[in-house]
Formats: sequence, C-alpha cells, structure tokens
Amino acid sequence: MTRSLASLSSSPSFRRSSSARFYSPNASLALVTPLIAALLAGFLYPVARLIALSFSGGTLSHYRRIFAEPLHLDVLFSTIEVAFVVTVASLLLGFPVAYLMARLSRGLAMAVAACVFIPLWTSVLVRSYAWVVLLQRNGIINKLLIDTGVTEWPLKLIYTEGAVILAMTHVLMPFMILPIYSALRALPPDYVRAARNLGAGPIRAFVAVTLPLSLPGVFAGSIMCFVLALGFYITPALVGGPGSMLMATLIGQQTTVLLDWPFAAALSTVLLAVTLLFVLLFRRMLSLSKGLNSVY
Amino acid sequence: MTSLLSRSTTVLKATIAGLLSLMALSLPTFAAERVIIASTGGAYDKALQAAWFDPFTKATGIEVVTVAATNAEMRAKAAAMVKTGNVSWDLYLDGEIQAASKAHREVTEDLTDFCRQFAGREDLSANACSAGGALLQSTATLLAYRIGEAGEPVPETWADMWDTEKFPGERAFPNFDDPWRVMAAALLADGVKRDELFPLDIDRALAKLEQIRPSVSLWWKTGDQSVQGFRNREYSLGQIWLTRAKAMHNEGLPIAWSYNASFLVGDRIALLKGAPHRENALKLMAFWLNSPQAQAKACEVLSCTPPSSEAIAMMSDEARKTMPQGDDVRDYVIIPDAEWINANAAMMLQRWNEWIR
Repeated sequence: MTRSLASLSSSPSFRRSSSARFYSPNASLALVTPLIAALLAGFLYPVARLIALSFSGGTLSHYRRIFAEPLHLDVLFSTIEVAFVVTVASLLLGFPVAYLMARLSRGLAMAVAACVFIPLWTSVLVRSYAWVVLLQRNGIINKLLIDTGVTEWPLKLIYTEGAVILAMTHVLMPFMILPIYSALRALPPDYVRAARNLGAGPIRAFVAVTLPLSLPGVFAGSIMCFVLALGFYITPALVGGPGSMLMATLIGQQTTVLLDWPFAAALSTVLLAVTLLFVLLFRRMLSLSKGLNSVY
Repeated sequence: MTSLLSRSTTVLKATIAGLLSLMALSLPTFAAERVIIASTGGAYDKALQAAWFDPFTKATGIEVVTVAATNAEMRAKAAAMVKTGNVSWDLYLDGEIQAASKAHREVTEDLTDFCRQFAGREDLSANACSAGGALLQSTATLLAYRIGEAGEPVPETWADMWDTEKFPGERAFPNFDDPWRVMAAALLADGVKRDELFPLDIDRALAKLEQIRPSVSLWWKTGDQSVQGFRNREYSLGQIWLTRAKAMHNEGLPIAWSYNASFLVGDRIALLKGAPHRENALKLMAFWLNSPQAQAKACEVLSCTPPSSEAIAMMSDEARKTMPQGDDVRDYVIIPDAEWINANAAMMLQRWNEWIR
C-alpha cells in the first residue's frame, strides 16, 4: 500500500506534493516517532506476546497438534480458497466501478463515491444482517424468484458457502475500488489520447495503456482484500452454514469456548505466517514480471 | 425502542460507574456502595433488574451496575482480567457446565465457605450453591415442533426426531461450539438408556447423526436464528431452548414441545478472583438464594426453573406448566455429566468440527 502510494507520488501530477525533502532527516524522524511508538505499543508488542504465548511451556506441542490433525489444515486451505475467490470477485466487480468513478465528472463521481463509501462506513454486522434479510427462505430474493416464476419452491440461499462469498465480496469491495480509483485518477488522460491519436481503438488503448498503468492499484487492492478476507469472522458466522468454517471460527472457538489460549495463539500465528507469506509472494511475483517496475 | 433506551442507560450507568470508581481511588468510602455484574443483556437483564437488583438496592443501598456481553465474551474477558490482574467486574454469569471446569475455577473464587450458610435449606435444590458459583436458574434444551392437524401423531422422544417417515419435515439442531446436547440426543434416539448416556459414545452418536443429516435444514448458532428459522417455516422439528420456544408460543406461533426429550442446564453466578467489591458481591448472591420472591418473579418472565422450591410454589400455574420441575426431572429430564463434558470438551469439539464440515 505504502509502496503504491510512493509510486503514485512519483507520477507527474503528484510530484509537487512531495514535501518530504523540505524537512531535515531529523525533523522527519521526529515527526514519525509518535506513529512508530504507537505501532510498537499497540501492534508489535501484542503480536510478539501472542507468538510467545503459542510457544508457552517451551515446546512446539501446539504446532504439532495443528499439523497432526487434518481438520486445521483443511480449514486453512478452504480459508485461502474463499479469500482468493472473494478477491477475484471484488476485482471483477470493482474495477468497472473505479473506472467509472475516474472518468465521470466531479459531481457524478462524488455520487458514485458516496455509494462506495457509505457501505464502507456501515458496520460489518449491519451489512451482514442485511444479507440475512435478503437471502433467507422468505426473504426478498426468494419472494422475487417465486413471484416471477423462476422457481416454485424457495431456494436454499442462506447458510451456504455461496452466501459467505457474496457477503464478503460486498463488504470488501470498497478496499478494491479505492486503490484502483486512485491509480486511474493519477493517470494523465493525455496517455490514452496519444494512444488513440496513434491509431489504437478504445479497447486497444485500454488494454495497452490504461490497464497496465492501473496495475499498481489493482495489486494494492487485491492484497488488501485478500489479507482482510483471510481473517474474516463475523460475516461467515452470520450467513455461513456448518460447511463454511474458516480459520477465524476455529480461533474464536479456542479463545472463547475452550479458553485454550496457547493453542489459539498457535493457530493465529500460523494464519499470520501464511498471510505474510502471501504478501511476500505477491511482491516477488511483481518484481519478477517486467513492465510492472513502476509498482515498486 | 425501549430496549435501545435501556441499553443506552446501561451504557451510561457503566460509564458513570467507571467515572465514580476513578473517584473512588481518592474516596474509598464510595467503593463500598456498588457491585458490578456482567450478564447477557436484553430481556434477561431486564427481568433480573426488576426481580433481583432493584429490590436488593432498596434493601441494602448498594447499587448494582450491569455490563452486557455474550457468554463467550464474558468467559474470555473474565479470564483476561484475572490473568492481567486488572479486575473490573465482581460477578458474571456462566453456564452450569462451564462453571465446573478447571478453566473457570482458575478465574473465579472458590465459594465453598460461602455456600455453607445454605447447607440446611430444604427449599433449595442440592446444586443451588457450589464452589464454581451460585445457581441463578435452570432452563431446558428440548424437542420443539410445529403443531399439525388434530389427530396427527405428536413427537415425544429423540427417536421421533429421527423418524422422518412418521414425522416428515425438516429438522433444526444447534451448532454453537458446545456439541454434547446434539450427540446426547442422537444416542438417546439410537436406544441408549438415559442413565447410561455418559460417557458419550462419540462414534455411535456421529453415525446416528449422519442418518438425519439430509433432513437438517438449519444448524443454528444463535437463539435468534432458531426463532427466525421457525417463523420462516425452515424447520418443523428442532432441538431448541425452552425459553425461545416459550417466546414463540407467546407470539402465537403454532409451537409445542416435549419434556420427554429435554436436557436441563443452569446458569451460575460466579465471583471473580480479586473482585473489587467482593463483600457486596457475596451479599448480592446471598440475596438471590435467600429470596424466593425474587426468583419467582424473574422466572415467571423468563420461564426458567428457580433454585428454590418455595419460589416454584409462588409462580403462576401457567408458568409452572411450561417449566421442567419436580416429577419431570425425576422421570425424564437429563442432567448432564458436567465433569465428563469438561474433561472431553476439546476432543468433542474437534470430532464435531471434523464431522460437521
């Protein structure tokens, strides 16, 4: 995320806003110290305590248990699968919205942005319950399907894996739209005009110019969606059935039902490690692929 | 709207209590005038407030401050408070079975000494006060069903729940991380005798559950889901809480239930280790056990079974009819083996997770 912002600031339209060079290194350091202190106290220290807890008793027994019982790995893989599907769905649905927002006039773009932001500011709980209302047996969608004669009996929509993916995509879409939007906004319209001027059709201009230059935003949005999806808890609990068990569900059980905190810490550490691994893999893939150097 | 209001007043009260307890650092005399209890909030809290907390405040001048949380949150928070030595609650409510667990005993004070004063009380049930907490009330988890046409057979046992030919329609079972009730129902349906139920034969229970699985349309996680599912006709037979079944009956829904297939589980009031207002907390607990009027009033609303038989006698006939008690308990109701459940909780949940996915 910070990387992609840095790359944005190096594009011409942002250059004038890079004020860092006005301050001496010491002054800059003094300015970021509060943030670093807050991160150390509020984030790194608790995470370190969590990891230490997972090794409590000085043994690896909690980790051995995770890998000895197939359930935990199965759930981990299905969590990754769900996160991946949600990310792809958010990208496919979110990109056109971001593209539209970047191309509309200011007033209309504000209206679309409001449609993106208001759900973002609404509690996840409320949005998930809204899906319960829509998808339940006598819900709005089933009523519509029956009234229009598509089905005779109400369909089983709620408490399924499909419902989990749908609701999670809805909750996470703003995190995809906003980075793509900022990447597209930073793109000078002259580039597309130049491509058109040189004889490219609208599709060719999009594929050859707009799309590659929007990739930093796409990657930033994808990694954010993916990472957030890996840790989702409330939405799967409300709209998912017994089959849609995710890592966060298992961690929650250990924390609140069995009070086995060392084991919960070990599960959390594994999830954290997998998340970091994916972030690193993403970066590695990006640095290997040519033409995307602008991302990093 | 009223519940919103009452919640905001609860929050307000908690905030004021927090501010006052800050003041109490400099004015120690103030600290003796209140007691802080965590409970599950909502209708439950309101009933306890009217029947128990308000009369207590009137009698002793000690203010009762309530904090709302789910049972799981309370358990995790209480453990965190005691582990970090930063205890801000005095009492919290926990399930009867959890209250007998090792983890619970590490977080709460042993009440054996406190319980001695109730040893000679004939009206109180034998388990009314134990080391893990004082008994607040008991409620049943049982087989509830949609009432059919007159003359149709009525399901009475767990074997009937499994008989999809005689009783067609979809089923509902709980899936809230505490699977012994479902497994026990499966074993009873499979012909295991009531007194030979524990230790649970997990393999046999899961094999029996596999038979009913295609008919299960709802695995509910919260009481609200079980209610909403019945309203939406998502199931016609379900293992649900009596309190919820009663609430739906009061709403006018065509629901009935069988005590023949019920499990009785209580809620306990536990005292945190290092509670800031320990003496007041003990007084509040004693007030509950010593006051059949309070118990009767609360359980009349919540359709629970109070710990005192005198309280049962004070309740209306109508409330008594919808409450597992006396002969029911002796003849059908299953009282779980808390010790075995606690010792095997992790194993059961593991097996359950593997099966349910």
